[in-house]
Amino acid sequence: MFKAIVSADTLGAALDSVGVLVDECKIRLEDEALTIRAVDPANVGMVDLELSANAFESYETDGGVIGVNLDRLDDIVGMADSGQLVHLELDEETRKLHISLDGLEYTLALIDPDSIRQEPDLPDLDLASEVVIEGADIDRSVTAADMVSDHIALGVDPDAEQFYVDAEGDTDDVHLELGREDLIDLTPGEARSLFSLDYLKDMNKAIDTDAEVTMELGEEFPIKMHFGFAEGDGHVTFMLAPRIQSE
Amino acid sequence: MGNADIRQLAVIEPKPFEELAGSVVAIDAHNWLYRYLTTTVRFTSGSIYTTDAGREVPNLIGVVQGLPKFFEADVTPIFVFDGGVTDLKEDEVESRREQRERYEDELEAARAGEADAAEVSTLESRTQRLTETIQTTTRELLGLLDVPVVEAPAEGEAQAAYMARYGDVDYAGSEDYDALLLGAPYTLRGLTSKGDPECMYFERTLDELGLTWEQLVDAAILMGTDFNEGIDGIGPKTAVKLLREHGDLWAVLDARGESIPNADRIRQLFLEPAVTDGYDYDTEITPDMAAARRYVTDTWEVPAEEVERGFERIEESVVQTGLDRWS
Repeated sequence: MFKAIVSADTLGAALDSVGVLVDECKIRLEDEALTIRAVDPANVGMVDLELSANAFESYETDGGVIGVNLDRLDDIVGMADSGQLVHLELDEETRKLHISLDGLEYTLALIDPDSIRQEPDLPDLDLASEVVIEGADIDRSVTAADMVSDHIALGVDPDAEQFYVDAEGDTDDVHLELGREDLIDLTPGEARSLFSLDYLKDMNKAIDTDAEVTMELGEEFPIKMHFGFAEGDGHVTFMLAPRIQSE
Repeated sequence: MGNADIRQLAVIEPKPFEELAGSVVAIDAHNWLYRYLTTTVRFTSGSIYTTDAGREVPNLIGVVQGLPKFFEADVTPIFVFDGGVTDLKEDEVESRREQRERYEDELEAARAGEADAAEVSTLESRTQRLTETIQTTTRELLGLLDVPVVEAPAEGEAQAAYMARYGDVDYAGSEDYDALLLGAPYTLRGLTSKGDPECMYFERTLDELGLTWEQLVDAAILMGTDFNEGIDGIGPKTAVKLLREHGDLWAVLDARGESIPNADRIRQLFLEPAVTDGYDYDTEITPDMAAARRYVTDTWEVPAEEVERGFERIEESVVQTGLDRWS
């Protein structure tokens, strides 16, 4: 049994953060929260999402897992106006999800969860540096780097107490430095890793400009980015594997 | 080639490429290469892979086209090359040579006559063989790309199966059903095809048939292998039934008053093939892309546009790490 009412904005934000990495996912309908964990087919980017029952107007479940086509679900939720409520109800018999919003009834066929790629284990990361930064600054970095290159270096200079961004193109370069005063918080440690902009651009799409994002970085290590949404009742962690840096 | 009727005995299931992430596959190199050679030769104009001096290297195009899918799926291939030919297999080699010569004659006739282009190219691909040049240049290109290579003392497939049995690799990779007889616990088939590969399961096959490994090999010998003609009228079902009834190959032959020459040696080729522990490889792949490109396009005169997309895909996939490295 699963029956819930949630604002279209909240549900849309949750789906967007997963949809940037995969087309299909498993949604775990737990007592206290709805959770999703997925990794893209190349095993490069991972998302771990939790949307607490508090984020819903109402939330009832007796557990279980459903498999969904994210594009389809996102399209349906996209039909709602901002602030509208979406009603979700699982039909156990037919294994379909009834979605209703503003008089529109949609019956979504679910995917057999066993046919969806197994949920990944969380990598075990011990990252030296932590940067708390505004979503807008991530957006600025990614947009600028994308003008010159297809990859981006993110690092922390512990002596200068600075977070920095480097992108080197064939002809043009981009460099950005943010000191303590520009950041929300900084725990300095040696860190520099190179990432694919294709992935980072997609992840950036799911981050609000006014979100407060905690980035964890290491030397040639994956990056972890955490942020909240739905007034703190939703939480997303993105992980992205680095590229090998050439000398 | 192996006996395709073995498929009817084997437990085989589709295996999506993405589920293979992080695994290591020992591939029967000749078997793999042969598939790419035939498609390259069939669909590419001969002038593209022939040097001015007339040496043909369609294999280089095949390797560059075939490798990216492994790297993109985060799978490490290890190519296992054949050593000497088992003397019992000489018949098979001989008959394949005769067949090729027959195709060569047909090809000659087709070129001279009215045959359409499709027919000519089909015949061209059938006459494809692993020349000395192809053998050497394939190894050299894999070397520049830092892809591990293992030299088998005899059959590459037997060596690949052995490495899989001892857990050094996660899968054997071969189109040939003999991998099952060689005891490879998991064999991936269809690695050269467009869609997802399939996985052939050894233990599950034995459980399903209620046979031991020896009995499975005996059943295959009754059906016919690369090393012997089968007994007339014995297909997969009958072979399994006979083994269950009589226990082993000799009892079956006794009961039916038949004989198979060298049966004990053939059995041994599957159960205890010539393999080596003397291999060593590094699954951390760091290719020299510039040298590999030069080798293919300068040294062997393949037009850059034929291989550029493949090289780009290799380059892109090897510099990007996977998250499984940290879990």
